[in-house]
Amino acid sequence: MTVHLPQRDAPDLKQLGPGPDPQPSRRGVLFWAGAALNGVAAVAIGIPVVGYLLAPFASSGRKQSWVALGHVDEFPEGHTTLGEYVNPFTTPWDGYTANTPCWVKRDAGDAFTVFAINCTHLGCPVRWFPESSLFMCPCHGGVYYADGSRAAGPPPRGLYTYETRIRKGVLEVKAGRLPTLQQTP
Amino acid sequence: MIRATTRSVYDWFEARLGLEKTLGPSLTHAVPQSAKWWYVFGSMTMLLFMVQVMTGICLSMVYVPSADEAYASLEYLTYDQQMGWFLRSLHVWGSHLMIAMMSIHMLQVFLFGAYKFPRELTWIVGVLLFVCTLGMGFTGQVLRWDQDAYWGMGVGMAMAGRVPVIGPEIVHLVLGGPIIGGESLSRFFALHVFIIPGTLIALLGVHLLLVVKCGINERPTPGVLVDKATYRETYDREVHRRGMPFFPNAAGRDMIACGLTLTVLFVCAMMFGPAGPNGRPDPMLIDTAPRPDFWFQSIFAVLALLPPYMETFLILGFPLLAGAVLILLPFLSGDGEKHWKRRPMAVLFVSVLLVSLGSLTWLAYQSPWSPVMDAWSALPTPAQYVKGRSPLALQGAIVVQNKQCRNCHALDGQGGRRGPALDGVASRLNSDQIIRQVIQGGGNMPAYGQHLTPAETTAVTAFLMTLHDQWEHEPATGRRTPRD
Amino acid sequence: MIRRLFMVLCGSGVVALAACDWMPGRPERPTVDAHAPTMAFEPLWNTHCAGCHGANGRDGAARPLNDPLYLSLADDHWLHMITTHGVDGTLMPAMGTAAGGPLTPAQITVLIEGMHDHWGGAALQTAPPLLGELGAADAGATVFASHCAACHGDDGTGGHGAGSVVDTSFLALTSDQALRIAVICGRIDLGMPPFDGRRGLPPLTDQQVSDVVAWLAAHRVAHPGAPYPAVTSQGAQP
Repeated sequence: MTVHLPQRDAPDLKQLGPGPDPQPSRRGVLFWAGAALNGVAAVAIGIPVVGYLLAPFASSGRKQSWVALGHVDEFPEGHTTLGEYVNPFTTPWDGYTANTPCWVKRDAGDAFTVFAINCTHLGCPVRWFPESSLFMCPCHGGVYYADGSRAAGPPPRGLYTYETRIRKGVLEVKAGRLPTLQQTP
Repeated sequence: MIRATTRSVYDWFEARLGLEKTLGPSLTHAVPQSAKWWYVFGSMTMLLFMVQVMTGICLSMVYVPSADEAYASLEYLTYDQQMGWFLRSLHVWGSHLMIAMMSIHMLQVFLFGAYKFPRELTWIVGVLLFVCTLGMGFTGQVLRWDQDAYWGMGVGMAMAGRVPVIGPEIVHLVLGGPIIGGESLSRFFALHVFIIPGTLIALLGVHLLLVVKCGINERPTPGVLVDKATYRETYDREVHRRGMPFFPNAAGRDMIACGLTLTVLFVCAMMFGPAGPNGRPDPMLIDTAPRPDFWFQSIFAVLALLPPYMETFLILGFPLLAGAVLILLPFLSGDGEKHWKRRPMAVLFVSVLLVSLGSLTWLAYQSPWSPVMDAWSALPTPAQYVKGRSPLALQGAIVVQNKQCRNCHALDGQGGRRGPALDGVASRLNSDQIIRQVIQGGGNMPAYGQHLTPAETTAVTAFLMTLHDQWEHEPATGRRTPRD
Repeated sequence: MIRRLFMVLCGSGVVALAACDWMPGRPERPTVDAHAPTMAFEPLWNTHCAGCHGANGRDGAARPLNDPLYLSLADDHWLHMITTHGVDGTLMPAMGTAAGGPLTPAQITVLIEGMHDHWGGAALQTAPPLLGELGAADAGATVFASHCAACHGDDGTGGHGAGSVVDTSFLALTSDQALRIAVICGRIDLGMPPFDGRRGLPPLTDQQVSDVVAWLAAHRVAHPGAPYPAVTSQGAQP
């Protein structure tokens, strides 16, 4: 069974007929040569354009890098406080968004743990409650213990942490990537 | 005189453009007489899209798509620029109405079986238009560069980051960098203003072409089945015999409906005003509870209610599944009965969909799963739970506040609703059970064993043991007796 | 003709635009910067203090601050200090930014001044000082018997009017200083009277207060609350 779909206002191609062309093979050659030329030019233009679009991956030096959070003494021992750092990769028009908050937990001496602000569920900013030693997320109610491990709610894992180090009394974190489920310790 | 001049000018253009010759037949193509008021939703959606394009262009004359300045330009638009607030209001209400109309249009097409042969492609293109429109909704919400937008973008990226293998790369690509910053907003601007609208306009052209080529669905009659072999022929015959020209006959209804739509839009924009912007997009202001716009509230609710183990699968799989079902629909049931009275599964599906979307949206506005972040310090222990308590129980009441229990547990209707209300808890649990629950947690409650001293646990238990139900079930007799 | 029409159109356009200012949906620029910290007493109290100290400074779980006696005895610098850093040995949390809390020093000053403005009264010279040292527990036993036992029971474990004040868990959650304040100021919202010489009650001297607090403090144990004694509703009732 074939289905017939009548074309209501299709132009009648047959009336146009083939044009006067004594050498059909030459026409074919021209067409294919033209197509090839276009193809080559399109590739020549296209590769840089694709490169432009994929620039976020290509930029050299866009690996994570160490940024300063502040002098060690700014973070009292035994407390978890809100830290702030400037993204290692900024543009002059970043405005507020150049800053990123994080939770800095100083246990004793130089033992630091720095947690990302983002809930591991969907990235909302978690808040620290020192009285109950819990992090709570305002979006879907994810809760974490003081050490960042998952306490309750929908998060699939504990809080993301940053690599830390101390250079000349300054606490530094390795930052520069939005923490998401598959790429963060 | 004027008439003759107009005529000759028209003829001059017509001789060159030939619009009447090419478009005329489309405008006056015959449509079924039965195409009555049910068929106006598509036109209304398209009209709203045109409003969106025009108001969008107007807004782009002032809006600055820069992470640094977008918020200031929005404030300028809202408070300083003459009629700027009204344009923003039109744009946001236009978007709400457009999604609403498009949903109604889709439901009507589905229930009237209009997606069946030969209009399968019209439906598929329509589904793509719907996807594009939702994309406009999400990106538009991000362009309102406030706290909700900043964290909303983070939520979108947290979802995208769950895509197997290439998740992080997708995040990287969409943000224009590894982290939210200046390039992220510019990318969303390009999406919202060029890429998605361009796609939308192209698809809309195809959609309209298909409407003309395949004709408008006749009003289905129960028992009249679609047979692929004969449908076209019957339709053409009927339409030519008893149809009417689209313009001006059917277009009249569309015009009335469009006029009403514009009126509703004007009234909404005038009465309710624009949305936001709510707080500058400063990530350091963490005392914020990001919420999505209306149309994404149901998703917000689903994400709170899903158990973690199926979440990634559903976040990523469900949209794909839903899209696949919608696109395959005309191939799965491309012929046969069109009338909803003889398609109980279709009616059931639509009812379930509407009820679940409605209740999820309602739930999202309640959001009982979100802790009330300042409940512990802002909501007093109800006075009736303080009076007559022992010093120990009073300390326990302070513990309930101090340890943020109230953020998730209500007392006298005040407080979080993530956990059960604590009124009458002494009638449900004995002291050992309360102690165990507090220390071990469980049932989505954190374990407080590490964070409470034995004295605090004793005090909180003493307080909770004073919270009896007014009507306590007496285990000995099984009779209900009132307590004072 | 056309010119007149044009003028009329322009005129009505201007009128229409002016009328738009009256549309209900027109947003008002917020008069206060939403991101600037609140500097008004009531919103600050209702967000940060009401949870424990009560909606109007009374009837909360913790000490009422809507208490003229307490406010007249308390030193403002001391109030500022305990609000900022919390009180060790009690559940009063550190609320100042200096200690990781939400309130700036200026906001805490607003709170303290607001308490005086709203709830303060004339200074009382007869009451013993709010802060003091521990006295002698033996002497305190006598004071307790004469002033406290009527309600709290002869041994302090609770009587007709009030609950136990020698419960080890209760004592673990309160400081000697807080006990002293409770003895001096009472809990006027819950019916415990202040012993400042008013209301026909025998007034307590500084030494008597120090002694009775010492007697209470002597009931502290090394491991209070452990190992979770069964708490019955009877035991928790006053």
